[in-house]
Amino acid sequence: MIELALISGFAAASVRVATPLLLAAIGETITEKSGVLNLGIEGAMLAGALAAAVGAISLGPLGGVAFAVAAGMATSAIFAAVAVGARADQIITGTAVTLGMTGLTGLGARLAFGDAGAGLTIPTLPVLPIPGLAAIPVIGPAFFSQSVMSYVAFAAIAWATWLLFRTRWGLEVRAAGESAAAARAMGVPVTRRRVVATVIGGAFAGLAGATLVLSQVGTFTEKMTAGRGFIAIAIVVLGRWHPIGAGLAALLFGAATALQYTFQASGSAVPYQLFQALPYLLALAVLAVAVGREKGPAGLAK
Amino acid sequence: MRGTLLAIALLFSACGSETSAPPAAFRVALVTPGSIADAAWNAGAYSGLQQVRDSLGATVSHIEARTPADQEEALRSYAAEGYTIVFGHGYEFQQPAERAAAEFPKTIFVITSGQEVVGNVVPLIFRIHEATYLAGMVAGALTKTGKIGFVGGMELPPIVLGYEGWLQGARATRPDIESRVTYLGNFDDAAAGKEAALAMIRLGVDQLHHNADAAAIGLFGAAKEQANVYVYGANADQSALAPGHVVGSAVLELPRALLLIAREVQENRFTPRVESFGLESGVIAFVANPELQNRWPTGLAERVQAARDSIITGTLIVAGTKTP
Repeated sequence: MIELALISGFAAASVRVATPLLLAAIGETITEKSGVLNLGIEGAMLAGALAAAVGAISLGPLGGVAFAVAAGMATSAIFAAVAVGARADQIITGTAVTLGMTGLTGLGARLAFGDAGAGLTIPTLPVLPIPGLAAIPVIGPAFFSQSVMSYVAFAAIAWATWLLFRTRWGLEVRAAGESAAAARAMGVPVTRRRVVATVIGGAFAGLAGATLVLSQVGTFTEKMTAGRGFIAIAIVVLGRWHPIGAGLAALLFGAATALQYTFQASGSAVPYQLFQALPYLLALAVLAVAVGREKGPAGLAK
Repeated sequence: MRGTLLAIALLFSACGSETSAPPAAFRVALVTPGSIADAAWNAGAYSGLQQVRDSLGATVSHIEARTPADQEEALRSYAAEGYTIVFGHGYEFQQPAERAAAEFPKTIFVITSGQEVVGNVVPLIFRIHEATYLAGMVAGALTKTGKIGFVGGMELPPIVLGYEGWLQGARATRPDIESRVTYLGNFDDAAAGKEAALAMIRLGVDQLHHNADAAAIGLFGAAKEQANVYVYGANADQSALAPGHVVGSAVLELPRALLLIAREVQENRFTPRVESFGLESGVIAFVANPELQNRWPTGLAERVQAARDSIITGTLIVAGTKTP
């Protein structure tokens, strides 16, 4: 019985760790399908995290989520204006947006919470077990006894798949991502599709930031995203630019991360650096084995 | 790029030193390796800097620098601007300070948790392990499962020493203690700190200690969600972070240490030396949370007090305690 409880706890941790990565990766999948590589989602996630904390203090957790989405969209809109509108280099613009947001959120946090930080008093999103399903061994705690943000992430996989592959808008976005010139010749408003796809990506990055603050840590700390935006970009590649693939890749990454904490906490004699590297080694291995055949959108970052 | 920036900075500082008043102004700078909103290591230093400003009338400045290159750059530019004292806040500043200091002999570089005196680079050594020993004693006595856990930001020598003190103290009250350690690889990722703590809790750990700055806020969040899990703060009194779950804190009164050095420099009676602070100095202390002291078994408070006295008199040696 103790083993079952341990496995359930580990499975729940895997999904918990995967949730912000998954949300950001679904958004970035939509963005990249349109031919835009947005390295600014790390910054959008950080902006979302700060906005979530500020919003939750004044309007409660759901207000925090709304603030986070708005902040993520605004951050990505800045990126889109420069990189898509003014056609500046996407890599440089994205990096600049992330670096800028790192500084701005630090400043914003100091203005909002003072030098002492926000403490652990922010209203958070509770864990919502789904009656019945939550009682299933292992699967229940993993998938049906999570914060509402995890359920949003699961639903987003289906929604993004439908949006990209079952709607005319999705077809036009994919056309814009393969070849802007060809899409334009077909009458697709390429710039507009790319801007909207980028802003949708930002909304998801904001949700990812809100997840960290409102359903995990319970406070905002500077640079708390700690590279999750970049991991999400790797997950998009690992998931072969498909929302379902992103879901599996995020889960793999979440499990590897949860596993490394479990390994370290179990007092093994293996050097901990190996465990810290585990999620990344796994990602490399999957990339090497599985990705070869599938290429990204041909017009990505062009 | 960096060279150009430095050249420009030097140019400006050269102009500045000609135009500004005689070198009477007492200016003190602080470079921290992380956010000052961590309620611990960096917050303490920042508060020390503010006290240096308020008590000594110094002009102060603060900047964060995370990578060795940025840290060296930050130390250099403060020195180039003519700051009297530049505090490099942490073990990792020793090497960058040594590289920067040779060019700026008029500036005193004070490295908290540094190693040795090299010219105008002077270390402040904090024997925090003397306080974590006392925290460990309480943890060993209070654990129901016999398992204690420690979450570190990175495996830096002062952090390892803090852990060794914690473990040695726990063994003093519970010889068969099982101890677990997790290193996060950074000091910012509070979500990682929380997951690391939850993983330990799942494996039966019920007393947690840390040295992970802002990332440790996640530990307090994890303890708050669990009944019968307790945390021991580090570097500051962190009882307020998780009411009812913080048994005590291994406290480092950074403002006192920073003030001591700054005052000596201002009064021109500073001599480069290794300044080491332990329990005897009052800069290091174990502060129990009075709200939870009713949970202590009888006799524990006396044992902790006796251990404290023995450490001060030198009859009890805690991991790595060497007064240089």
